[in-house]
Amino acid sequence: MTEVQTSPAAAPAAAGPSEKTGRRSHRREAAAGWLFVLPFAVLLVAFLLLPMAYAFKISLYRSTLIEGEVFAFFDNYKQAIDDPLVREGVVRVLIFGLIQTPVMIGVALLAALLIDAATSRFSRFFRLAAFVPYAVPVVIGTLMWGFLYSDSLGPFSGLGIDFVSSDTVLASLGNITTWQWAGYNMIVLYAALQGLPRETYESAKIDGAGEVQIALRIKTPMISSALVLATLFTIMGTLQFFTEPLILQPLNPGAITQHYTPNVYAYNQAFSFQQYNYSAAISFLLGAVVFIGSYIFLFATRKRSALQ
Amino acid sequence: MNIGNFSARRVSRRSVVAAVAATALALTGCSSGGDDDKPAEKPTGTVTVKVWAWYPEFKAVVDQFNATHTDVKIEWTNAGTGQDQYTKLQTALKAGKGAPDVVMLELQEIPTFALTKHLVDLGKYGANDVKGDYAGWAWSQVSSGEQVYAIPVDAGPMAMMYRDDIFKKYNLTVPTTWDEYKAQAEKLKAASGGKSFMTDFGANDGGFMTGLFWQAGAKPYTYDIANPSSIGVNVNSAEAKKVFEYWEGMVNNGLADTTAFHTTDFYNGLGSEKYATYLAAGWGPGYIQANAGGAAGKWKVAPLPQWTAGANAQGDWGGSSFAVTDQAKYPDIAAKVAIEIFGAKNTEAWKIGIDKAFLFPTVTPVLESDAFTGKTYDFFGGQKVNEVFVPAYSAIGELDWSPFNSYNFNQLTTNLGQAIEKKTSWTASLDAAQENIKTYATQQGFKVQ
Repeated sequence: MTEVQTSPAAAPAAAGPSEKTGRRSHRREAAAGWLFVLPFAVLLVAFLLLPMAYAFKISLYRSTLIEGEVFAFFDNYKQAIDDPLVREGVVRVLIFGLIQTPVMIGVALLAALLIDAATSRFSRFFRLAAFVPYAVPVVIGTLMWGFLYSDSLGPFSGLGIDFVSSDTVLASLGNITTWQWAGYNMIVLYAALQGLPRETYESAKIDGAGEVQIALRIKTPMISSALVLATLFTIMGTLQFFTEPLILQPLNPGAITQHYTPNVYAYNQAFSFQQYNYSAAISFLLGAVVFIGSYIFLFATRKRSALQ
Repeated sequence: MNIGNFSARRVSRRSVVAAVAATALALTGCSSGGDDDKPAEKPTGTVTVKVWAWYPEFKAVVDQFNATHTDVKIEWTNAGTGQDQYTKLQTALKAGKGAPDVVMLELQEIPTFALTKHLVDLGKYGANDVKGDYAGWAWSQVSSGEQVYAIPVDAGPMAMMYRDDIFKKYNLTVPTTWDEYKAQAEKLKAASGGKSFMTDFGANDGGFMTGLFWQAGAKPYTYDIANPSSIGVNVNSAEAKKVFEYWEGMVNNGLADTTAFHTTDFYNGLGSEKYATYLAAGWGPGYIQANAGGAAGKWKVAPLPQWTAGANAQGDWGGSSFAVTDQAKYPDIAAKVAIEIFGAKNTEAWKIGIDKAFLFPTVTPVLESDAFTGKTYDFFGGQKVNEVFVPAYSAIGELDWSPFNSYNFNQLTTNLGQAIEKKTSWTASLDAAQENIKTYATQQGFKVQ
């Protein structure tokens, strides 16, 4: 795609008087490009690639309380794949993602379409109000919901629902996540909607389409790439589910176990049980799951997303 | 919900900055790389000793210490409560920098940290001279022979706190055995129409469970840090199962609640009329007073109910000590700080510790002083509660902790928590914990007996 766009411009340049100058300026451009990329590259290497390499290295060792550190090759990975607690966590976040992602994107899309259609002062207020939860730090937001779910303090305490029992807690956590992130996704989708040419709607109206039809048949398909992006972020977020369960854990450790999600499990392995090596192996496996999950999604939606 | 986490997190960022600064210093200065066996250099001027602790009212104790010492200055950080602090400590010890000189450790954590060989043997710095100031069981928690890993500070002898007003309202008598306790619980349930529970059995505190096992005579582990690679695991002993069977019955009959400890709902329950008793440790009142002051003056304390009528079996829940890490530049001075902060001679510190922080002292001269045993507490309607706690403390037997206590507590709480959630057998949860712990210990290279 990119080639097709640039070739008409490139053709005259190639046919220009001096091929040499062209190449030299190209090289200079490349050097300048590297210079621009440098700060990012340095940070990427220092804070992502090097730590990852280090984590990968320690994931290949095994350290025990008595025998110390020994090279174990892929033993930790084998153990993690066989570990029923890891599997339980992975299955849980997959289920969570399957339910959470459509709910989250649905809510965000609905809100975005509504504020895009309405142009009153109320829509501006609503846009801000829906976005505010995203501005609240996750830890604070989760603590706040912890109080709201409280049996003795919360506004729902009269209902007799235990929001943190093992049957309900996943839904309660999903509610917190939706509250926190739907506004953010809404803004992403709303921005995409704002970028659409208004004439399309007019033509649709002339053809007799109602507001609902315009929203569903015109607007939604036209922002499909933004939808794919928001969905992708949501999938990655749900697979790496961590902060909310960790913060709510003290409310009912029997329901939110120490292996509730793979990330929580990896955290506890490292920082409660000093199993840094095993924790690194779990983290890498989870990274692989996230990567594969994201890839499957991108592959499945490649026609709509224009992200090829 | 642990609001304390907020401040802990804030402190943690500060300590990260401190760690970075310390690293910078270490890079500019020349690293000695020496062991603690090498004779310490003689310090010049005032030595700053970094201390991590989360005692309530500890700032006043530090100020008092600094005001009375010119050669040593304590720099205190609250690095979080319990596991929060241990997480940071483990990381700092493993990293080789960023750890404090003196650190508060709960008694059950000492073997865990002693095994890492990052604790300084205080026996080399005169700790054995103060051995006589402590009860035998307390000293055995912090030492192995002549090796001393920490200096005990406070303990958590257990007793039954009860709401005098609720007992009077429903005409309950103070139980002395667990059978009587259950009978009173049934009476309370019927009389209050199920509004009040006899107590709350939080499944999220391994120390609480172990305290009750301790009273019943269970010995979950056989372990001596002098022989570090060998351990006996007996988590699902008959004594422990007896305790769990009893409480499973209490919970299933609606006599005891299972709200997690240290949560808002739990404290609200103590402040309202939801719970008639609280099986508390010696330090418990301090935390309750801060979080559930509503019922101040209505509480009283009675000895823990017994399994055998007339017996005097007791257990401990929590309690703490000061250890010195191998990152202390002057281990002798750090040891002196650890010994002296809450030492027998430091009556000023204990005044703060007892009057304001509700610490239960382990030093016998303080413990047996009239000032302590005869002290009346407004929170307990003027009762001299230490007349209950002190004899309980003296009757506690010895108990070994495992060198992987986080895992131990996690297994106890996770398995019980799930048993409660899924309404499965409590004793089976102990069997599951036993199996997992044995597997874990074997994986870790221990010879498991």
